Amino acid sequence: MDWHLLMGQATVNGLIVGLLYLLMAVGFTLVFGVMRMVNFAHGEFYMLGAFAAYFFTTRLGMAFLPAVALSFVAAIVVGSLLEWCILKPFRKDELNGMIVTIGLAMILQNVALMSFGPDPVSMPSIASGATTLLGITVANSRVYVVGFAVVVLLLLYAFLRHSRGGRALRAVVEDSETAAVQGVRARIYYPLGFGIGVGLAAIGGALMAPLFSVSPFMGQTPLLKAFMVVILGGLGSIPGAAIAGLSLGLLESYSTLFLSTSTADMLIFLLVMVGMLAFPRGLIGRGEA
Amino acid sequence: MNRMTRSALGAMVLGAFTLHAAAQETVKVGALVTLSGPGAAWGQAMKNAAELAADKVNAAGGLEVGGRKYRVEIVAYDDKYQAGEAVTVANRLVFEDKVKYIIGPTGSAPTLAVQPITEKNQVITSTLGFTNKAMGAEKPFSFRPVVTTYEFSEPQISWMVRTLGVRKAGGLFPNDESGQVIARDLEAAYKKNGAELAVKEFFERDRVDFVPLITRMLSRGIDTIELDGNSPGTAGLITKQARELGFKGRIVRTGGPATAELVTVAGKEAAEGMIVHAVIDPGLKTTVAYVDAYTAKYKNAPNGFSPSYYDFTNMLFEAMRRAGTVTDSSKVRIELEKIADFPGVLGKLNWTGKSNYGVDHQLAVPFYVAEIKNGVEVIRARCTVVEGCN
Repeated sequence: MDWHLLMGQATVNGLIVGLLYLLMAVGFTLVFGVMRMVNFAHGEFYMLGAFAAYFFTTRLGMAFLPAVALSFVAAIVVGSLLEWCILKPFRKDELNGMIVTIGLAMILQNVALMSFGPDPVSMPSIASGATTLLGITVANSRVYVVGFAVVVLLLLYAFLRHSRGGRALRAVVEDSETAAVQGVRARIYYPLGFGIGVGLAAIGGALMAPLFSVSPFMGQTPLLKAFMVVILGGLGSIPGAAIAGLSLGLLESYSTLFLSTSTADMLIFLLVMVGMLAFPRGLIGRGEA
Repeated sequence: MNRMTRSALGAMVLGAFTLHAAAQETVKVGALVTLSGPGAAWGQAMKNAAELAADKVNAAGGLEVGGRKYRVEIVAYDDKYQAGEAVTVANRLVFEDKVKYIIGPTGSAPTLAVQPITEKNQVITSTLGFTNKAMGAEKPFSFRPVVTTYEFSEPQISWMVRTLGVRKAGGLFPNDESGQVIARDLEAAYKKNGAELAVKEFFERDRVDFVPLITRMLSRGIDTIELDGNSPGTAGLITKQARELGFKGRIVRTGGPATAELVTVAGKEAAEGMIVHAVIDPGLKTTVAYVDAYTAKYKNAPNGFSPSYYDFTNMLFEAMRRAGTVTDSSKVRIELEKIADFPGVLGKLNWTGKSNYGVDHQLAVPFYVAEIKNGVEVIRARCTVVEGCN
């Protein structure tokens, strides 16, 4: 493989992984923006989304896309209910809210462990084979995943920019008091914001489920990556999360190509630390500690 | 104490003796195995094998040792393939449950971590870990029922180089004791046969995305991907992702039976033509009977390591019978070492290993080189530890 092809392959690999990080991070930052809550349970919603997709496709025989859509809806409903029942007293209370979500994460993980067992299960692939374009090979299943993820992000963008609900949500993220004065009802938008945020994590899990195996422990790494991305991009900033997510994916891909995996892992963390020191508010956001 | 109380006490004590004699005694066998995470397929195969052996003996009225019948109870705990967790569990088994015999540990790192406890307390262990440090003259109570890379890789690689023309291989290994030892042993075996393990990549055990690593490997021009050292689930993911990246060369697994799980994760198409190390001969009636019994009870096929543990547990029972005791593990150990030509479900079994480990605590089970065709293993060569592959 000559260098152009190799770099091209690494770029494509990196963008695909970066898209996953983006999905995770956007949801994570939305929850923080709306409720000032650092959601430690975000990774577990990713895991639940994957299990939901697995359940719908293998046990109920649904096609993949409807299964993903149903997982999203289920996550919004479950997320909103959880927010309304458990997290309501902790809106705006960053520290205690964080601790509650840690507890929630443990409960969700162990419920999954009890229901599905500890063994990783695998979902059948959506597509088989690979496409080769300009010498770069991408698995067809990953092409589909990228396509769906882009569609989801475009829909999210349209929702936030052009719909009443989306505008209200953005208003709450920007300044909740003024939004309340303007008539945006916290009762609806806090659960909705949390629901959509974790719904995005669930979509990420559902989309990735056929690519990697599904296990109750699969949410840990995406949570860590979501943290890193929002730290780099700025807590509360969606464009920041987008740029940082793709950059992290690309960086990981290139560094794994040239360095050993251990060095690559260390490098990523080092860069996050440097990023925090150099840009305390994140690359774009009005990130706050 | 007045007469009434004394006689009452006397009656109670007598009653207790009678009760004790009437109730069947139990001998506990511990199972320190991985029941969650990537190594779970192995741990469950080990625990279930011991349970099947115990069931058989209990159904016949109990294990008869020294004129008494004992009910065998398997006490199992999960070590999550972590050394720290294994030590916690070992302490519980040795000091609270007071077992003298342990099935497991599953992994090399947990094995090395618990041996100080088990050796000191004269507890017999039966590791699945592939490290060569697991056995030795200074570890008289450590045994291994499964053959490892050291025993089977050289014969298999020799066969692959001779028959398939494998020249330049690349491998992905978990970044811990097992992975590093296996990588080292494989490299030596390839070199000895005139081929090369040109690429060795190490990754953290819970990784699921191997595309960047595979891309890196393919850029070095390998003709074969080596999967030994990886858990069955991980091996499946690597196979799937390598085929998706367009790799058309050979994929081989010079070790560790994993075919059922591999085909489930990777799919039949991706796994087609893979060369694997197999321990089950579908032509051997005793093995097939064991697999059927396992599948009937546990509803899924056993991982290939399972029959070894069934045979080991039975050898343990035989050693207890010959020693005439279930509590004196030193005597049982000596009898275990003396067992030769044991009729196991895998065939006739003997101990070996002195030349490599300093002590004959390695069970010499027969093994095979198989090719995966349409999701099923088809045997291509038959091998033994001593003679190699034909």
